[in-house]
This record gives sequence, C-alpha cells and structure tokens, in this order.
Amino acid sequence: MGVIDKIKGIIGSNKSLDNRPVLDDNVAVNVEHLSMEFKITKDKIDTLKEYVIRTLKRNKKEKEKVRVLDDISFKVYKGDKLGILGFNGAGKSTLLKIMAGIYEPTSGKIEINGKVAPLLELSAGFDKNYTGKNNIYLNGAFLSMDKDFLDEKFDEIVEFSELGEYINYPVKNYSSGMRAKLGFSIATLIEPDILIVDEILSVGDIKFRKKSSQKINELMAEGVTVLLVSHSISQMRKICDKCIWIDNGKIVMEGEANEVCDAYVENAGSKMNKKKKKKK
Amino acid sequence: MFDTFSEKKFLLTELVKRNLTSKYKDSVLGILWSFFNPLLTMLVFTAIFSMLFGRNIENYPVYYLAGRLMFDFYTHGTKGAMNSIRKNANLLKKIFVPKRMFATSSICYEFVNFLISLIILFGVMLITGSPFHFTLIYTIIPVALLVILIFGVGLILAVCNTYFSDIGYLYNVFTLVLLYASAMFYPIEIVPTQVQILFTLNPVYCAMTCFRQCVYGAFPDVSMLLYLGAFAFTTLGIGVILFNIYDKKLALEL
Repeated sequence: MGVIDKIKGIIGSNKSLDNRPVLDDNVAVNVEHLSMEFKITKDKIDTLKEYVIRTLKRNKKEKEKVRVLDDISFKVYKGDKLGILGFNGAGKSTLLKIMAGIYEPTSGKIEINGKVAPLLELSAGFDKNYTGKNNIYLNGAFLSMDKDFLDEKFDEIVEFSELGEYINYPVKNYSSGMRAKLGFSIATLIEPDILIVDEILSVGDIKFRKKSSQKINELMAEGVTVLLVSHSISQMRKICDKCIWIDNGKIVMEGEANEVCDAYVENAGSKMNKKKKKKK
Repeated sequence: MFDTFSEKKFLLTELVKRNLTSKYKDSVLGILWSFFNPLLTMLVFTAIFSMLFGRNIENYPVYYLAGRLMFDFYTHGTKGAMNSIRKNANLLKKIFVPKRMFATSSICYEFVNFLISLIILFGVMLITGSPFHFTLIYTIIPVALLVILIFGVGLILAVCNTYFSDIGYLYNVFTLVLLYASAMFYPIEIVPTQVQILFTLNPVYCAMTCFRQCVYGAFPDVSMLLYLGAFAFTTLGIGVILFNIYDKKLALEL
C-alpha cells in the first residue's frame, strides 16, 4: 500500500488546490491580506561554489526585497466582472499569476471557488517541432483537458483557428499570427467558472479579431466570473461592473467601474501634466 | 485544474511523447538508437574486457548488458528528473502545471527506454545461447525498487538543481564515481574483500547485482533487496517531502 500511496502522492493531487476551502457559495475569489515579495540581488548567487565561498567570507549580499503586492484584500462574487487597473509595474500581472497558481504569495491567502481558466500566455505550451495537430493535444494537456475532450473538440479547434491543412505542418513554420490563432482556439475551449484575462486577446487579422472578441464576449456572457486586466479604459467600462485600481502594490480605489475608471484617467492625466510642467 | 486522474494521465503521456520525439528529432534512425546505443557499447566493452575478465565472468556480453541497462536507467532517470524543472522554466513561469509532472514524465520516459532496451538484452541472451531461467520474473523486484530510488533521488536533485545550477555538474562527476563503484563492467571479485563490503552499501550496485542474479538463474539476494528497499523508500520519502515544501517556491527561482 505504502508504495502506491507515495507514488500517488507524487503524481497526485496538488496541495495548493486542496487547501482552498469552499466558503460562502456566492464568493468566487477571496483575497485576504495578500502580499508578494520578490527577492532581488544585484548579483544573484545561483551556484553552489559561490554560495559556499560567500558564506565563508561572510560577504553575502543582503537580498533586497521588492514588495510587488502589499496587503491586498478583495472579494469577487460569482458573476462579477472585475477589472484591474494600474500603471505598468503596479503588480497587476503578478496578481493574476498568483490567482492562476503560478506563484505562491509571500503571505496572506487566496481562495478560489470554481474552475479557473487563465487566458494569460496562449502559445507558451507549444512545441515548435510538433505539427499543429500534435500541439493541440500537447497544449490541451497543459490546460488540464483530457484526451476524450480534445478528440471531441478537435474539428472545432481546427475550424475556429482557420488553419486548414496547415494544421499538419510543424508550428515552427507558422507565422506569429497563425500561432496566436491556434493558441487562442485551444485556450478558449475550457468552460470555466472564473476567467482570468490579461488584456483582451484580439489576435490575428481583422477577420479573426472579430471572431475572437466575439468568442471572448460569449465566454463572458455565460455568467462566468471575469477578472480582467487591460489598459483599454473603454473596454473596461464596457465589460466590467466593478474595478480595482492598484498602484505600487496597494489598492488605491475600489468600486463601481465607471467611477474608478474616471478617477484613474484623471490621475493619469494630472501626472502627465505635472511632467509637462516640469519639462517647461 | 488537473483534478481528475484522466487529465493527469493524459498530460503525462503527452510529456513522455514529447520527450521521445524531441530526443531523436533530427536523427535518421530515430528511436532505433535506443537499441544501438547499448548494443554498440556492449560490443566495444566485450571486445576489450572479455579478454581481461573472460575467465571470471560467465557470458560477458550478458553480464555487461544487464549491468549497463540498470545503470543507464538510474543515471538517465535521475538526470532527467534533475533537469526537468530548469528545462521547462519558460513554461512554468507562464502557465500553471504541477511541477512534479515534469519530473515524473522524464522518469517515465527513461523507464520506457529501459523497457525497449531490454529487448537487446533478450536478443543477446538468445544469440549467446544463455538459457532463459524462470527467475527472470523476479527481475521485477529490483527494477521496481530502482524506480522508487530514482523517484526519490530525482525529486531531491530537481529541487537542488533549481536553486544551484552547478549541482548538475557535480552530479555528472558523481555518476562517474558511481559507475566504478557499481562493478558494471568488471567482476566484483577483482576488488579486495574488505572493499567489497563498501560496494554493498551502494544501492545501485545492489539493484544491479540482484538483477544479474535473476538473469543468471538465481534468486536475488534477500538482504540486498531489503537494504535497497529501505534505502529507496527513505529517499523517496525525503524527496516527496522536500519537493512538496519547495514546489511553489521553485517558480520564483527560475
């Protein structure tokens, strides 16, 4: 028994997902006092030799800690469409990555209730030497789909991606647009409870852009919870009903989408004006 | 994400498949190299060493191959698992995939390779007229224990190698020492008796010896199996605990 249990443990269920207790049924995402720090050293010690020598010499540089997210708390209820605003480097993407399970927060907790579909990096899982067809299966596997599901949806993916017979060619011969189209077609197959989107992914040519934004709208329309990061304020206003605005890892403002957007735009405008004045 | 067994199984098979295709990507003979590699080195070693040790070892090619296959499985399996996290850094930084799947898949891939190369062993046994004893069935025991050992060592190395990249180079040297300390291509008898005891502390040597005993028609040494089992399970325990602790932190180190 022992062997089987242990081997199951290795392949088995992921701990981080297990310790997400089901809370109030209406809450989809609950973030409490979430902080994230990155250790940054100017010269990173990543060899054992250096580590030993420096420990002996006692000149280990103190690691600088950069706080990317600082004590963030918010709740997202089911069916909410939450927009996350902020300037570059404010910590938006880190927040999404934590929600997607890629990073573990330094402190605080995050509870997620439902199946998450992170539409973050759509062609990250491609193997360049594989044909488009094999990549559909590989990428699908990375997105936690199983074989039966992919078999069933295969034609749909090929049709949606508009690749035609190119599906039998290796992905290394694809143009970046074709790659993006294929990635998009696979990733949007999931039927999620929570959709995490970093910038609305309108990829490819005009024809496909229209189709893809339609697909995203369809996904969003089905009552799923949406977490959206975007720099397009007009999209934000159209899609989201609530917004949070993050700056320097802290929540500056939280509330109804239009209000937050107005404040954000105003702030950005005044910052620009200040800079202009300084230049003068 | 990755909650059901079928999803995990599918990911694992896809990863193993990717390993298989990427390794022999540009070679004409492709997967056949899994056969030729051990076969060719066997010919070389047989030519050289059967002259030296020919009298001490019954059927040198089989002796060599049996040891070599087990040893290769161990080194490739552990090295594969060790590099699996770093090799897939780009992916792990961008999308969520349980990291243990990469380590597991590279070990599974090496296991498939091992099974394929067993065909060579059986072929050579046929050609050299070595009898097929019923004890061959017992080879399952040392092989299974070796798999567990590889999992344990592989997980530990995967964590260490992510933090310190030179673990990989150190381990290369270590496997070379291990090669000589496993009596892979020479008979244990040429080593002084006092030193032989040290050899029995080497779990890879134990696995190899038990495997050979089965191939040569004897029942594997029980005390060696027990030692190997204890060693393997302890290592696996440490590996699993270590990996679970660092699992989430690894993404930050990449």
